[in-house]
Parts: sequence; C-alpha cells; structure tokens
Amino acid sequence: MLTRTVCHVFQRRSASAAAAVRPAAAEIRSLRNAIFSREQARQRALYPRIEKIEVSMQGPGLDGTLLIMNRGMSTPLSCARHLTEHHVTTSVLALVDGELWPLHQPLTHSCSLTLLTFKDSDPTLVNQAYWRSCAALLGQVLETAFKDDFTVELLTVPEVPVTSGAFCCDLVLDPQLDSWTPSEESLRSLTRGAQQLIHQDLVWEPLEVVPSVALEAFSHSRCKQEEVEQKAAQNPKGTVMLYRCGDHVLLSGGPLVARTGICSQYEVTALHSLGHRPWGLHRRAQGLSLPLQLQAHHTVWRKLRQRAEKLVEVPKPEEVTPPPPVHSTPAPTGSA
Amino acid sequence: MRLTLQMLISHGRVARKMGLGPQSRINMLRNILTGLVRHERIETTQARADEVRFYAEKLVDYAKKGDTDDKAMKMASFWLTEKDLVPKLFKILVPRFENQSSGYTRMARIPNRPNLDRAKMAVLEYKGNPFPPLYPAKKENELTLINQLLKGYREQKNISKAAVSPEVHF
Repeated sequence: MLTRTVCHVFQRRSASAAAAVRPAAAEIRSLRNAIFSREQARQRALYPRIEKIEVSMQGPGLDGTLLIMNRGMSTPLSCARHLTEHHVTTSVLALVDGELWPLHQPLTHSCSLTLLTFKDSDPTLVNQAYWRSCAALLGQVLETAFKDDFTVELLTVPEVPVTSGAFCCDLVLDPQLDSWTPSEESLRSLTRGAQQLIHQDLVWEPLEVVPSVALEAFSHSRCKQEEVEQKAAQNPKGTVMLYRCGDHVLLSGGPLVARTGICSQYEVTALHSLGHRPWGLHRRAQGLSLPLQLQAHHTVWRKLRQRAEKLVEVPKPEEVTPPPPVHSTPAPTGSA
Repeated sequence: MRLTLQMLISHGRVARKMGLGPQSRINMLRNILTGLVRHERIETTQARADEVRFYAEKLVDYAKKGDTDDKAMKMASFWLTEKDLVPKLFKILVPRFENQSSGYTRMARIPNRPNLDRAKMAVLEYKGNPFPPLYPAKKENELTLINQLLKGYREQKNISKAAVSPEVHF
C-alpha cells in the first residue's frame, strides 16, 4: 500500500516537474494566444455602447478634415480607410495628440491624428519603429525555426539606432546546440521563413495590459518575466505593451509598425555568439530590411548587407542610448 | 535642331527659315516675344520657342542699361509691339534679373500638338514668374531610412580608412 502511494506521488511529481521544465513550444504558443485573445475580448467589452468621437486629421492636404469615429472600436487605420487607399498602404504609424500610437490600436477619445509614413520630412520615429518591428519579426522566425526538441529563449530585444546598420535580436539556444555554428544555408532558410511571414502580410495587434496578465502569458520564461517587471516599473502608467503577430505573442519596448507586409527586402545576415552569460550561451541574430516604399538598388543593398554582417555593439543598458543625430534643417527643397 | 552657333554657321544655316520671309520671321518673333513679356510663360512650337529665346535674353540684356539709355529704349520699343509692356520690362524684369548675367529663360518640351501636324511643342518662360514650377521640386531627405543606413555605412568606412591609413604610409 505504502509503496504504491509513494510510487503514485513520485510519478505525479515527476510528471509535473517535467511539465514545468519543458512544455511543448506549440503548447506555450497556444496558451499565450489564448491569454491574449481573452484580454483583448475583455478590453473590447469595456465599450458596450457605440459612442462617437471626433477625430481631426492633420497632414498635407488633410487640414480641416473631421471624422466621426466610434470610441474604443475605430483605429487610426479605419480613419485612413475613410481617406484614400494611398493613406492605407503608406501609413506606418499614427501620432495621436503628439503621442505615438500603433495603427491598430483603438482610439479612446476625441483627438487630432497624424498618419506617419517613411517619406515624411522627419521619419526618425518611424524608422525606429520599423527597426524594432523587424527585430520582432526576426525573433518570431527564430522561435519557430528549430525543431521541437530544442528550446529557444528570446531575450530582451536591444534597441539599436538605424545608423548601426542592422537590427538585432538576442537569444539563447538549447544547450545541445552550443557547438553549432550556423552555415550560410541556415541563414538563408531563416530569411525564407521571414519572407513567408512578410508574404502572409500579418498584422501586429497591439494590446496594453497590466503586468499580471503579461506575467501569466510569459509564465514559462523567467527572462521575459523579469523584462515585464522592468518595463512596468519604467512605464508611468504601470502597464506593458503586448503585440501579437500571427500566433506569436511578444513584448515590445515601443510601438511597432502596422503589418509585416510593409517590409520588402529582408535578409537575416548573421548569427553571432556573444559568450556565456547567466542564461546560457548568448547569440545575437542580425538582419537588414528595407520597406516597400524605399527599396535599394542591388549594388547598394549588397554594400549594406556586407556591413550588416558585422557584429553590432549595443551600449550597456545603464547608458542612455543617444538618439540618432538629427540635422536641424532638412534639405531646403524638402516640400511635400 | 540647334547645337551651337558655330555648328549652325558651319553648315551654312545662320537661322531657321520661318514664316513667309525674313521680314515675316522678325514680325512673328516680335509678336511671340511680346506675348512672353506679357504672360511670362507661353506655349508655342519648339522651333519658335527656341528662336525667341535668344531674343528674349538679349532684350533683358539691353534693358539692363536702364530706361534712359537710347539703345535700350529703341530695342524695347521695337521688340514689344504693345507699348504698355515697356515699363514692365524696365521696372519688373530688369530688377528681377539684376544678379544674373545670363540664363533668364527656361524652356521645356511638352507633348506634341494634337493637331493634324503633330508639331513639337514647348513652353518658354522667364524665370522667377509667379506660376507653379514646370518641373517638380526634387525631394531629398537625409533622414529617410535608406539614407540613414548609407550615412552609417559611410561613417564606418571613414573610420576604418582612418584606422588603416597610419599603417600604410610611414
């Protein structure tokens, strides 16, 4: 009797321990998805009645345009749909009352709205958001690229300025893969994975959540939980931004662009190893991408690509990343 | 097609033959030039615009001598068939081109005439006119994504060049 009980308890514990250590990657993904959907449905249910808000558009040729939209339901993208198709395809981010706003996040109050594109007179913020989104896409590709036997742990995405030449994504691979060095073919297959996602034209759905929900979503990853706590402490509102792209839920340090289809040229250029750190062997994946509106000639692309293969040095988190130098006066001919 | 004055003369052709004869040509060009001074931007066939252009520049050159100058006044009253334009030439066009010594006009090809003759057409204008520009303004923005990437590339190249060069020459 006793032996049987012991056996039983032991079996159960070992089973639970195994589950805690390594649930299948697909299982984690579906769990995060479910939490994201649940929270999204809850936030949508906060506005049961349709209330109207007034959105005044700003931008070249739009001054004085006033749109009557639905509170908690209309997004900046739906405002763009009321204008022209050109606005829908070219706008990347929105500026709501001077604050950066993802294109798919519902508007909650009457406001003035500016649609930002890559060809604005000062696209610095858009460039940063694009770089961040490309890094997020790279993380998504890396997480699904390996077989289920190998765990992939994505670390905090380092914020690098655009002038550094490549966006990067830090990760820790399974200890079994420590001796693996990626060949050119494996980088190419990663590039193919990213291009498939770009071809699917997935939407980055934003969701502002309280830390407890984010902690629940990332309950299998210690590293992400620490990041959530850190981000929530930094944010004055105490919330964190979650994004979902396809079935991948990620934590972001800033707004992302609207769709993956905005990227046109995309290449994973390098996978460097940074040495052993507390989480294991750190690796840094790097890539280069350009949007549909600003494509490069292949000679220019080759030069930029060669540069993107070099390891990008990220300044220590203590230091404040200097913003990319901004010229006070753009070219005098710059008129929209 | 006009290449240079030397080319024209060397081939035995000093000017295009237009109209019914030399006198008719002069009268036609006078009328077109008067229209140009009045409207500041006109549309004619390409050959006429090209011929008038030379006289339009020369007229401003003469007018720069001032309205008290005998020769300048004679030229203005000959080439401007409508006499109310003479003050405009001296009071408006001359101050506008004070800092320039040449190149007061601009010519641009436009689609051929949809008429039966399909003649080549052109637009001729005095620079600095109040109309919208003929050519779209070229937009160059240093801050776009690709320009920022290229800027970083150039900076790194300069740094690596500076790092390499001390070893090369000693």
